[in-house]
Amino acid sequence: MRNRNATAYRFLAPYLLIFSVFWVWPIISSFMISFQATRTVPWRFAPGFNWGRLIGDPAFFNAVKNTLLILVIQVPVMIALAMVMAVLLNSPLLKARGLYRFAFFAPVVVGEVAYSAVFRLMFSLDFGIVNKLLNSIGLPKIDWFSNVTPAMALIMIAVTWRWAGYNAIILLAGMQSIPEDVYEAATLDRVSKLKQFFHITLPLLKPVIVFCLVLSIIGTMQLFTEPFLITERGGPGGGTETLGLLLYRQGFRSLNFGYASAVAYTMAALAIAITLVQLWLTREKQ
Amino acid sequence: MATVTLSNVVKRFGAFEVVHGANIDIKHGEFVVFVGPSGCGKSTLLRMIAGLEDISGGEIAIGGKLVNDVEPADRGIAMVFQSYALYPHMSVEQNLSFGLRMTGNPKADTDRRVKRAAEILRISELMDRRPRKLSGGQRQRVAIGRAIVREPQVFLFDEPLSNLDAELRVQMRVEISRLHKELGATMIYVTHDQTEAMTLADRIVVLRAGHIEQIGRPLDLYDDPDNLFVAGFVGSPKMNFIKAQIVGQDARGVVVELAGQEKTRITQPLAGAAPEVGSKVIVGVRPEHFGSAGEGDTDLVVAIDVVEHLGGTSFLYARTAHGEDVVIQRDAAKVPTTSEVTVSIRKSYLFDEKGLRLR
Repeated sequence: MRNRNATAYRFLAPYLLIFSVFWVWPIISSFMISFQATRTVPWRFAPGFNWGRLIGDPAFFNAVKNTLLILVIQVPVMIALAMVMAVLLNSPLLKARGLYRFAFFAPVVVGEVAYSAVFRLMFSLDFGIVNKLLNSIGLPKIDWFSNVTPAMALIMIAVTWRWAGYNAIILLAGMQSIPEDVYEAATLDRVSKLKQFFHITLPLLKPVIVFCLVLSIIGTMQLFTEPFLITERGGPGGGTETLGLLLYRQGFRSLNFGYASAVAYTMAALAIAITLVQLWLTREKQ
Repeated sequence: MATVTLSNVVKRFGAFEVVHGANIDIKHGEFVVFVGPSGCGKSTLLRMIAGLEDISGGEIAIGGKLVNDVEPADRGIAMVFQSYALYPHMSVEQNLSFGLRMTGNPKADTDRRVKRAAEILRISELMDRRPRKLSGGQRQRVAIGRAIVREPQVFLFDEPLSNLDAELRVQMRVEISRLHKELGATMIYVTHDQTEAMTLADRIVVLRAGHIEQIGRPLDLYDDPDNLFVAGFVGSPKMNFIKAQIVGQDARGVVVELAGQEKTRITQPLAGAAPEVGSKVIVGVRPEHFGSAGEGDTDLVVAIDVVEHLGGTSFLYARTAHGEDVVIQRDAAKVPTTSEVTVSIRKSYLFDEKGLRLR
């Protein structure tokens, strides 16, 4: 048996080697870098340098605030929207189901740069279709890129557009795994369609909804593309700067790898903490 | 009065017709079993009675009231599904009370009904458990309990025992029989298992490919089948079929000679017109209707392939000289030890080439 295990490990060795070098080592290395002052040459070990700065850095707290704000508002709205889309896709009345499924999923496969450019155009102050539509119904134009609140709303709209369909497809798969005869039994029990949704579909979908929430939380904690490309590097004035963007700014623009590593670990810790709280809140109660 | 009447009921899926004009009259309090092989339309028929499938043609009446366009919930029926269809996230108590709670039934009445159903089915100690913590038999009881709390006029069972093991199936069969006696409600039960049909039913409806082949009491179907299909479907092991030919007629009836076996002749009394001499027919013999040599009309030598000992009874799997397989039932004490045995045919049925019974 030991011999057979050894053979297996020999076959696994190339993968394990690459995994260790490019996956495990960077994780360890960045953790160690977070304890070093990296703006001096050579780097020196200074445990409190980056972590101490983190506690008093207004830019960090601004990024945390922005990220959490997006998380708290955008994720529930997106999951609710995804649920509505999934219910529509699951309806036997829907024609051309495949077309809708593709349309809902398409944003995920569209290139990030392309979609960001289109969003910038759509929401442009003078030429954007969104402002034209607002004007046409008698509402004033909104300067989406120069004011913090509209800029944050724009980020949330963009992220929702991109990921709602993806979550809808996952929820749809969950819905389709609920046996049809459970609904038939409820129909015979005189339970209305709406009550069936709230008392059967939602409770049975809970594990899938939790899965979608966890994915979305992790995704939002790492949010980078939209504030980088749509609101131009977290603008206006850092109003949409997220933790992912702060990390990028510190690491790759200021070349302060120690501080960027500390931010990265904080992001991961926050994502884990929020996910754990959420799993605890939605745990199966017996 | 919970009668159920099906008049010329048709079901089509697109252009494909799966039930071709079914006519059935079910009396109040009767236990009727729809039986037939897979795809014969028995479940479709049941689902049409429940209202879960639309009716393409004909009429269904429950309690004398036409229900073609009545919602499933308003038909006064309750259904037990093959997969139980329990709500997995609810306790047994919640499963039983769900429908009543959702429709605003008074709590005291709901509690009374749930308690009564739990007592009838002896599941009172399981009320806090979720379905996944229950055995197959317990789940089935809960599914039946959910039907009982609705206090329906008609109970519909869609192959309710097919997911249970053999021992539990026998036990639940007895339970369902007891339940029928206790509740006195009309029950319609779908199964592909002819043993279940024979043991449970007041009347059996035998279906094949969307057609009703015969309706009758279990023993009537067994003793007096209308055609080859019913004769073969009802009874286990099934009736033996031996090819034969009409060779003459005498005072007692038509004389039939088994194919490939000159002088092996039986005489079959017929009330109707006798087929012409030379017509091909099929002789049906139930395993228990083979007697010892000399007991019947004619003797037949068969070669024994396998003997199955079931305790008091044994089955001999044998072949006739013409190569036709036959199953012979024998008392365990009378099983021959030789490889060949002479048997007689004590009772037989005659079918024409189309499979219709010649009486």
